[in-house]
Amino acid sequence: MDIQFSPEEQRFREECRDWLHTNVPAEQRPMDAADAVEFDKAWQRRLFDAGWAGINWPVEYGGRGLSIVQQVIWLEEYARAHAPWIGANFVGVNHGGPTLIINASEAQKECHLPRILKGETIWCQGFSEPGAGSDLAGIKTRARIEGDELVVNGSKIWTSFAHVADWQELVVRTEEGSQRHRGLSWVICDMHAPGIEIRPIRKISGQVEFAQVFYDDVRIPLENVVGGLGNGWKVAMSTLSFERGTGFIADQVKQSQEIAELLERARATGAIRDDRIAEQLMQMRAEVAALRAMTYRNISEVVRSGQPGPEASVIRLFTSELGQRLERMALLLAGDDILDFRYGDDNQIADYLRGFAATIAGGTAQIQRDIIAERLLGLPKSR
Amino acid sequence: MDLTPNSEQQALLSATADWCRDNMPLEQARSRQPALWNQLAEMGWLGMTAPGMDLDHATEALVFAELGRHLAPVGMISSAVAARWSGHQGKTALALLDRDLTGGLLRVYDAPGATHALGLVGGLAALTALPADLGGEPGLDLSAPLAHIDPAPPFTALGDPRAALHLQLVSAAFAVGVAEAARDMAAEYAKMREQFERPIGWFQALKHICADMAVRSAVASSQLLYAACALDAGDDDAAFHVASAKHLADQAAIDNGRANIQVHGGIGMTDEAYPHLCLKRAHLLTFVAPPVRDVILGEAA
Repeated sequence: MDIQFSPEEQRFREECRDWLHTNVPAEQRPMDAADAVEFDKAWQRRLFDAGWAGINWPVEYGGRGLSIVQQVIWLEEYARAHAPWIGANFVGVNHGGPTLIINASEAQKECHLPRILKGETIWCQGFSEPGAGSDLAGIKTRARIEGDELVVNGSKIWTSFAHVADWQELVVRTEEGSQRHRGLSWVICDMHAPGIEIRPIRKISGQVEFAQVFYDDVRIPLENVVGGLGNGWKVAMSTLSFERGTGFIADQVKQSQEIAELLERARATGAIRDDRIAEQLMQMRAEVAALRAMTYRNISEVVRSGQPGPEASVIRLFTSELGQRLERMALLLAGDDILDFRYGDDNQIADYLRGFAATIAGGTAQIQRDIIAERLLGLPKSR
Repeated sequence: MDLTPNSEQQALLSATADWCRDNMPLEQARSRQPALWNQLAEMGWLGMTAPGMDLDHATEALVFAELGRHLAPVGMISSAVAARWSGHQGKTALALLDRDLTGGLLRVYDAPGATHALGLVGGLAALTALPADLGGEPGLDLSAPLAHIDPAPPFTALGDPRAALHLQLVSAAFAVGVAEAARDMAAEYAKMREQFERPIGWFQALKHICADMAVRSAVASSQLLYAACALDAGDDDAAFHVASAKHLADQAAIDNGRANIQVHGGIGMTDEAYPHLCLKRAHLLTFVAPPVRDVILGEAA
């Protein structure tokens, strides 16, 4: 065991650092939603052109084909350089893309993967429904087969970037009368198709960042089914296990940046002399270090065995709750300034408010605890 | 960069686990026989950290977490540090000063048969000679004889400041082991004990207590391994990483120790059951090389 990076990896780190130093845009991500998407796309394109998009994606689909360790090094340097948030490219790059790499046909991969990496197409997710949240297998949105098309009716909710997305990873019930995990299919849905209606939803932070999507006889070619008809649950789970494994490394890396900034602020304001604050900061600084250790351990496991260890689900839960405590601390240090927050502000208060998503989206903290208890400790399944 | 044990380390780890299970089970932690120390010496458990053995801290952390999981005698911690930095081979008792300064009360664990005790004095690992035939009675932790010397005799600090970090690392490893032992004990009980005609581990209220135990163990053991590697690498941040490891390991050991008793319910409150052995050991370990807040905050000069 060691924490030293190889000379090759260190050289790679230097390369990342040099490029980011001269290329990270000075301007902030725009507030206006449409401008923000243009900004995200342009930045993604720049990353792609310079060879920094899809570092561990296969070369044939526009990636670099490098190791997951190099991907981590890139993300560490990315956070250190205060490079822009991935924004509207999140689902495509971190979610849809990796799922396609594992499950899609050659034609599907060739069509979509390079475009995702170049920032040409924006993706959104269509898993949750008004009646299927934590109980994801309760999906009711149905698709009947008519000739070589699926005809979709129903509704999805909490869909981030729905209003700007070109494509959606959509899970629908393709087998009439099927129950639970059976009879579902994972399909690529064209968000510009007729019959799709998007109703934006405002968050408690004031931002309109997600939406409910309605499908009224939306026609999707059968060739857009990924992983075969009726295999939707398996395909969706491969995405979720990616999320629970390495999909959140960027967040984890960002948290070490955040604790450093909080400490700096606490020193500058003298708040660090307050024992209660110092205790909490100590706790979080130790935990952020441990999170990096856990992430490295998980990455090492991926390198050694090809897949994340069972402890990956622990990382997912721990990151989300630690992130919320960091956001809470930022508020504590801000004092009564927070009372002047107004809808439209995109600051640490908005981060704190929208940060509840961390323990809700992609499986609530409670579902994550069920998974840990059942898969890691072997406790009986209660669902 | 690799934070997973290699095949050699895995083999050593499973050999350690096997030996502990056969010779030093947790269930017998309340009445460790004096002869156990002869066995420990014969099998090389006491000399493994001596400089000539070239045992790196990473491997050491793995092995000591496994020993700690079986509630191995706490004197193994001081013996490991003494063997690496002072040349004292064999058994070295564990010294705890009530104020991190000489002159106050000294508590000595695992004194019988040891000529010296090792503890932390003014932030440095230090040794003191013990009076002959120092014995002791079990205290809060029932596994080791505890003796008192008041006032504490003078100590001689070990030359290398890394000895104190080593003491903190090995005691953190022991605490990680305790946290894991409590986690596994609770999970096994939750699978076996039935109420309302089903295993209590079926209920989310119990399940989530157990999940949190798994989280705390994973957090603490990951940081332990990272800290051990940082020490091996001579990393500038090694003191921070070791202190963080000790802080998280102590927290995990205490919190898991408490949760384990709760999961066991009434039986968990009895002397005859084993959960209290973990909790009491966890409390003892918090006094061994406790982490300094400013070191974790990065405030220390």
